[in-house]
Amino acid sequence: MGKPLIAISHLSKSFGDLEVLKDISVDISEGEVISVIGPSGSGKSTFLRSINMLETPNHGTIVYDDEDITGEGYDARKLHREIGMVFQRFNLFPHKTVLQNITLAPTKLKMGTKKEINDEARKLLAKVGLESKADEMPHNLSGGQQQRVAIARALALKPRVLLFDEPTSALDPELVGEVLKVMRELAEEGMTMIVVTHEMGFAREVSNRVIFMEDGYIVEEGDPKDLFLNPRHPRTAEFLSSVL
Amino acid sequence: MDIQWSFILTVIPTILKGIKVTLLISVLGIALGFVLGFLTGVARTGKNRILNRIAGIYVGIIRGTPLMVQALYIYFAIPTIFQFDLSTVAAGVIAIGLNSGAYISEVVRGAIQSIDPGQKEAGICLGLSKWQVATSIVYIQALKIMLPGLGNQFIISVKDTSLLTAIGVAEMTHQASRAVTTTFRTVETYTALAVVYLVLCSGMSYLLKKMERRMK
Repeated sequence: MGKPLIAISHLSKSFGDLEVLKDISVDISEGEVISVIGPSGSGKSTFLRSINMLETPNHGTIVYDDEDITGEGYDARKLHREIGMVFQRFNLFPHKTVLQNITLAPTKLKMGTKKEINDEARKLLAKVGLESKADEMPHNLSGGQQQRVAIARALALKPRVLLFDEPTSALDPELVGEVLKVMRELAEEGMTMIVVTHEMGFAREVSNRVIFMEDGYIVEEGDPKDLFLNPRHPRTAEFLSSVL
Repeated sequence: MDIQWSFILTVIPTILKGIKVTLLISVLGIALGFVLGFLTGVARTGKNRILNRIAGIYVGIIRGTPLMVQALYIYFAIPTIFQFDLSTVAAGVIAIGLNSGAYISEVVRGAIQSIDPGQKEAGICLGLSKWQVATSIVYIQALKIMLPGLGNQFIISVKDTSLLTAIGVAEMTHQASRAVTTTFRTVETYTALAVVYLVLCSGMSYLLKKMERRMK
């Protein structure tokens, strides 16, 4: 592995007196698929949201593609064009059609002609299996379909990294599979992905690395097979036995 | 007591002499109110503390004083303090504008704050600028939520113009009161006045409902 795409060192973040991230250091290389697991309140989401500056860390640095994004005067918009985000609650734009949800940002960012942007959006919809839903409003779609649209929307910027914040936690159990399938395909295509998840099957089978967080710390990280079979830390073992 | 119900019809044209003024002040006043309301409503959801504070003080003063006192102050006190002339109509427009602006400010603030913060985050994460996020994602959705409140304020302001009779604006209520001083027909005249307001406001209410439905 060469130079990391994202290098996080000694990151900490507090909300008031509550310290939610404590001295987090981790390197992420291009093409890696990382699952972040841990009990709720362990800081997983804050960690993920720090990577694209939705949360500003109190201490520590994040270097993305050789640039210190935590440095003063860094324009986070540049980062947002390269690091996409998929939210737990989809956050689709309810006043726009499915297709417009996908084309809004590429249009505003002048990424091509109207036709190019529309064609590309339809291609992305086909990729997530929803080409027939282009002109629907988001609220007419199931949760699983909405999340697939949200993934297509993030892909429309041709990101180098995709962040997923518990992408299946708000879904009915029978809809989880269709979203995980799309994520699995992205992983196979080589997309760099960081996924905060409770889906242990996905963490074990799809990711190359699993990070276990608790209480704001990275307790343990490693190859999913090792970590799931032989957790080194007693807290990891305890957590895994409670969720598996 | 001698009540001539047919006098209602006789007095209506007199009252309607004031409808132009009523409508003029309503429309200009509310236009001013929309501008003030949007600016201060947005300021109160924004991060700029000074603007936020100024907007808050404005809303507090207006909501804490009666419209009639505001009108008297604008027409009599302020021109005296600053030594200038102000027409009754201009004073009326300013009073309705300042007054409705404060309530519209609350409508605007409430609507913007009711939009899920996840919408803004989604926009930011797609590389949009703050302005693009605001205009094409947050405010456009908030506008839909504001509509009933804005319509409501519009009707309230039309009715509020009747208070401007206190500063001598020649609107409908003023015309009616003048008619009473010469005819002494209070029952007929004020019945007619009430009916005119009722028809005007019901008509507007109907139009606003239709507009709302179309926006959905």
